[in-house]
Amino acid sequence: MTSDPKEAGVAHDREVGGIRCLEVLDHLADLLDGRLDAATREQIEAHLRDCNWCERFGGAYASTVADIRKLLADPEPLDEAVQERLSRRLREALEVHR
Amino acid sequence: MRRAARGDRDAFGALVASHQSAVFRLARALTSSEAMAEDVLQEAFVAAWRHADGFKGDSSVRTWLLAIARNKAARVQRPRAGEPTSTVPLEHLGADAGWGTDPSPEQAAALGERRDALLEAMESLSEADRAVLVLRDMEGLSGPEAAALLDVGLSALKTRLHRARLRLMAALRRGGRSDQ
Repeated sequence: MTSDPKEAGVAHDREVGGIRCLEVLDHLADLLDGRLDAATREQIEAHLRDCNWCERFGGAYASTVADIRKLLADPEPLDEAVQERLSRRLREALEVHR
Repeated sequence: MRRAARGDRDAFGALVASHQSAVFRLARALTSSEAMAEDVLQEAFVAAWRHADGFKGDSSVRTWLLAIARNKAARVQRPRAGEPTSTVPLEHLGADAGWGTDPSPEQAAALGERRDALLEAMESLSEADRAVLVLRDMEGLSGPEAAALLDVGLSALKTRLHRARLRLMAALRRGGRSDQ
């Protein structure tokens, strides 16, 4: 990454626990999905213990992903009119192709 | 599925009923209008009926149907020049999402309100962002399954997912408004 975090409106990017905030941000998805090697995970966990900015943002990231998975897991039922047009199209197709 | 492949219309009808909402959700994510999504929905199931005997069981029926829908969407949706914001530096995406910025007051929302806010924020995202969130976080497809379905490498898929989540968080902070 070459751009200046301060230009991006970021208050800080510091090294804590042997790893920088920006690297932690980069690894958040893998951390959440348990795909990090043990050494990197331990580094990030040490960083999160001592960097309240990243700890707070990591919590918000995990909470957002959990909300998507929980609250949006079930798709909305089809609108009645959409359902009717789908049924009509399939009736036509089933007549023609079998 | 085997019965549908043998031409059993009732079995196919049951399959449509089970998966139509998920197919429409992906179609809606991948296209820019309800009308286009409806075309994709219809043509995906017509194709599934015609080619039901081509289902080999390598994936779940749901994943197979979503792949058909994705292919149909690629035909009706005007080609886009990749993911337009993919080169935005990570720290900019993170800052928009609230990383490293001054904390805003906690906004406790009822679950229904939170769900509505998420749906509104989803609407403000690009088709590419919506598709990866639908497949990985809502449908629960594995990384390799979603990567194959979107025809991207696993590494690109992971990057796209992370960035889509950050853009969703940014949209939530803006109250669902697009920044484009």
